[in-house]
Amino acid sequence: MKGEVLGGCGLHMAAEDNVVTAIDDLAAGTTIPYGDERIELDADVPFGHKVALVAFDPGDAVVKYGEVIGQATEAIDPGEWVHTHNAESRRGRGDVAAEEEVA
Amino acid sequence: MPTFEGYERSDGPAGVRNYVAVLPVSIAASAIADEIADRAGEQVRSTPHQMGRDPPAAARAQIERTLTGVGCNPNVGAALVVAFGTERIDADEIADGIADAGRPVETLSVRESGGTTAAVEAGVDAAGELWDEIGDHRRVECDVSELRFGVECGGSDATSGIAANPAVGVACDRLVEDGGTATFSETPEFIGAEHILAERCVDESVRERLLERVDRREAAAELMGVDLRGAQPTPGNQEGGLTTIEEKSLGAITKGGTTPVRGIVDYAAELPVGGGLVLMDTPGYDVESVVGKVAGGAQIVAFTTGRGSTTGNPIAPVIKVTGNPKTADRLANNMDVDASTVLDGESLDVVGDRIYERLRSVASGERTAAERRRLEEFAINELQPNELAELRGEV
Amino acid sequence: MSAPDTSLSGDASDPLSVPLEAYARDDGVGVRNRVLVVPSVICSHIVAQRIADAVDRAVCAPHDHGCAQIGADHEQTERTLLNVTRNPNVAGATVVGLGCEHLQSGPFAERIADHDVPVREAAIQDVGGSDACIEVGTEATRELATAAAADRTEASLADLTVGVVGSDLAASTREVADPLVGETVDALRSAGARVAVAGTERLAPHAEAAADRAVTDAVAERMRAAAERTADGPGNVRGLVRQAADLPFDEVVGAWGDATVEEFVPYGGRMTVDEGLAVVDTPSRFEEAATALSAAGASVVVHVTAEGIPSGHPIVPVLKVTGDGETAAILPDDVDVDARSTTPDGLLDELRRVADGEQTATERHGLTKFAINRVGPSM
Repeated sequence: MKGEVLGGCGLHMAAEDNVVTAIDDLAAGTTIPYGDERIELDADVPFGHKVALVAFDPGDAVVKYGEVIGQATEAIDPGEWVHTHNAESRRGRGDVAAEEEVA
Repeated sequence: MPTFEGYERSDGPAGVRNYVAVLPVSIAASAIADEIADRAGEQVRSTPHQMGRDPPAAARAQIERTLTGVGCNPNVGAALVVAFGTERIDADEIADGIADAGRPVETLSVRESGGTTAAVEAGVDAAGELWDEIGDHRRVECDVSELRFGVECGGSDATSGIAANPAVGVACDRLVEDGGTATFSETPEFIGAEHILAERCVDESVRERLLERVDRREAAAELMGVDLRGAQPTPGNQEGGLTTIEEKSLGAITKGGTTPVRGIVDYAAELPVGGGLVLMDTPGYDVESVVGKVAGGAQIVAFTTGRGSTTGNPIAPVIKVTGNPKTADRLANNMDVDASTVLDGESLDVVGDRIYERLRSVASGERTAAERRRLEEFAINELQPNELAELRGEV
Repeated sequence: MSAPDTSLSGDASDPLSVPLEAYARDDGVGVRNRVLVVPSVICSHIVAQRIADAVDRAVCAPHDHGCAQIGADHEQTERTLLNVTRNPNVAGATVVGLGCEHLQSGPFAERIADHDVPVREAAIQDVGGSDACIEVGTEATRELATAAAADRTEASLADLTVGVVGSDLAASTREVADPLVGETVDALRSAGARVAVAGTERLAPHAEAAADRAVTDAVAERMRAAAERTADGPGNVRGLVRQAADLPFDEVVGAWGDATVEEFVPYGGRMTVDEGLAVVDTPSRFEEAATALSAAGASVVVHVTAEGIPSGHPIVPVLKVTGDGETAAILPDDVDVDARSTTPDGLLDELRRVADGEQTATERHGLTKFAINRVGPSM
């Protein structure tokens, strides 16, 4: 498959990606080597879900496949699970368009 | 040159199946068409749907195009068009379109037959006669370049973009290299990845058309005033690790492979033979999307799924490919190819070649899991009022 | 088809007071006793159908939706599916899901249970495939069917909610069939039955006249809003809207009788008033309207059709009424009532017999269609 498996458990699909995808159910405390760092998971992350490699501020782009897949909605630490609770799409946002209309 | 064993047709490319299709013109004839097919035997397939008797013009055109296209699919050896008798859609016109493709075709009107019971009986007789005309047809060796290969993804999860889709993409590349047509659709699942496809378009007009279609789909969400999330990605997608439509799309487009995008056609519009990679503009809604491609002439479909979609199609065999090892195991009876080995390190090329081989064997008659269980869902995309308004330039 | 009836109200053969055997439910009576196997999404409808086929007393409500819908469109599908399980003809429901769809079958089954409907649930992806789901679902449905054995009760037409849909405005409908139904509706209401009528297209060119029939301002406002919305929409509806515009309002709502409108029920919603006539916000397309009427709580549906549209419905027995002589002649096995030769008492008598268990034409051929109205594009 495309990309590199870090620490035997996190698929890093492109060099620019700031998340990895768990290719197994990962337990809290699992560490993933990333450059000079060792990223530690602060909670369990299910198979197929994403783990942050860097710190995010709200609004920062999440990058996977070498492309922007959305943005953080709150501050995220390295090693944190990244999903719908702290990240959102930038596209298909009919709700945002509706708010803008009202405003 | 790779080949398959197919049913030659007088007009156009070979089919991979040889069915009598029973096509209801409206919802009022749909249950009757189903009953006819149920009673007439395994080789008789109905295409039930919920389209009304008097749709607005643009919606009607799409329904007619879909019904005619399905009737002309190379897998259809003969067709029976069933109308209630008062529809705006003319059963004779649909039948003429199918006859033009060289297929034996009959029409049936429920009103003219004397009602439901009489129509079912007459339909079973007619289907039997049509089967007699084509039942002796035998498979002969055909070139894979006659295949139009439709690719769909449904019940996606994170493995779809990592394993199943890229593996199917390899099979698409192989078929295109061997002179066939590969097609994928689900336009909302280009959102966030359309720039990648745009770069591969063979010319400016294809690029413009593609981007315009993506815009239109995204605008539909804005029209409904809600976040696309829930429908795209679905709860199942999200449980499987897909967080945003962009992430889903970037994984989804890999199922078409890497060759240049030669065109993008309308829902249920005819796909070229030997046309390379051609897209179709459809909703992400799987059943409608597969039907669109089959109406466009796709004889065979590969459908990747992470969570485990079990749907098929009455007219075209659907090959289920999963990249999720749990799904490959738990839903083994509904899956055809296990692509989860990619996650263990098996090369995409090897798995892709395996899919390409399965494509040829299914084309030659091997039945898929969905076929063995007669899981064959069918629905026609109905243009809704806001879509119609947009087409008329009112939005 | 029914024979003309000459009895008058008040004597012992008055169909409104002749008892019928109905099924007792917590909140009313039904005239059939069915276990409804309802797929939460198109992808599970074949499994749902196979389950229903395997169990006596079970019927399936297969539909083309549940996937790729957002916002109001998704909500409408969910509301409709929920309320059809609450129909008085339904003794229990098995929800069959795939697993990845927007309308998740587990939580959905819980919402059904909240309304005290006996319910079971199975999702294809959860139980390990379509074969396993058919097994699990069939067993669950058998349990519900066994438990559904008759809690019979004596009732009369006055205890029922009768649904009415007319799918055209042909001359025979306006001049013969609708007036017959209208008088019958008046008699039903006087006796205390509830009536739910479909067909928002008729309101579109007559917003004010329609609003005038409402008993409250709130109902009037909703009817006005629905009329305006429908007037704007293209399409299937427009043919009827155009015809309705050329006719006086009273002539397009002949089937309502003299009724005032007690309630305006949204598509897929449930009628809440205890008596009188409610208008249900649904187009007149039979299959979609019958679903809306069954969600509203109708246990039997009267379908006025000049053409003789033959479709049945899985949840409600449908009486096909036509005023068109040609249709009555060429589709004798698909028409229950020839309005040209039937009196209101005759129609009431037919209704009573159907409520008491006699099969309608649609039940004899058994071919049904279950459709839900869409209010948004597929995503």
